[in-house]
Amino acid sequence: MDIQSLSAAQSYASARPATKPNPAPEGAGLGGAFQDFASTLRQSEALSESAMTGQADPHALVQALAQTELAVETAVTVRNKVVEAYQEILRMPV
Amino acid sequence: MNEFSNTLKVTASALRAQAMRLRHTAENISNADTPGYRRKTVPFESMTGSGDGVDLVKTGRVRLDGGRLPRIHDPAHPMADANGHYQGSNVNLMLEIADAREAQRSYEANLKMFDQARQMSASLMDLLRK
Repeated sequence: MDIQSLSAAQSYASARPATKPNPAPEGAGLGGAFQDFASTLRQSEALSESAMTGQADPHALVQALAQTELAVETAVTVRNKVVEAYQEILRMPV
Repeated sequence: MNEFSNTLKVTASALRAQAMRLRHTAENISNADTPGYRRKTVPFESMTGSGDGVDLVKTGRVRLDGGRLPRIHDPAHPMADANGHYQGSNVNLMLEIADAREAQRSYEANLKMFDQARQMSASLMDLLRK
């Protein structure tokens, strides 16, 4: 019995580092995606402003707005999915 | 940038190019009766810009048609020479109408592509929404 608990403790200690948080996540990841999203929004905002004052052509405006629609739709859908998953976890009986 | 964004970008550049082509056709038609006017044509060039392998289209430098200007007999015209002739424009209205119609068809095709890309991305997101 002693040996069993000892080996259990050992295997637990060896498996423990796997759950450690990574201090520096590799690549751009989610942060990069959000930055991309924000820059798309900012770009289309600037473009619609200049189109309203008659400086940009309507094709660029339509393109930027469609691009933004695509990005916002993606972001909203992903957020809804994340919130849904979180609520699912909250509802879990403990 | 994902492929849908790239599609939108390419299509928008094509729409812009066709609008430019239509503008030059309109200039030709407007100046069909201008003495000495030469027909303008605008070439399309592919533009591989931002290094992501996406071939945009843009309009190149405007070219003037080198065809012969017709000599029109009208002694009352202020620009008429000693023989009563002046040089007209070499715009062929039939050609211009055909060109304008072609620009319209290409524009419609690109609009359809734009809409198609939007619909495809919307249906992709519908999968997640359920």
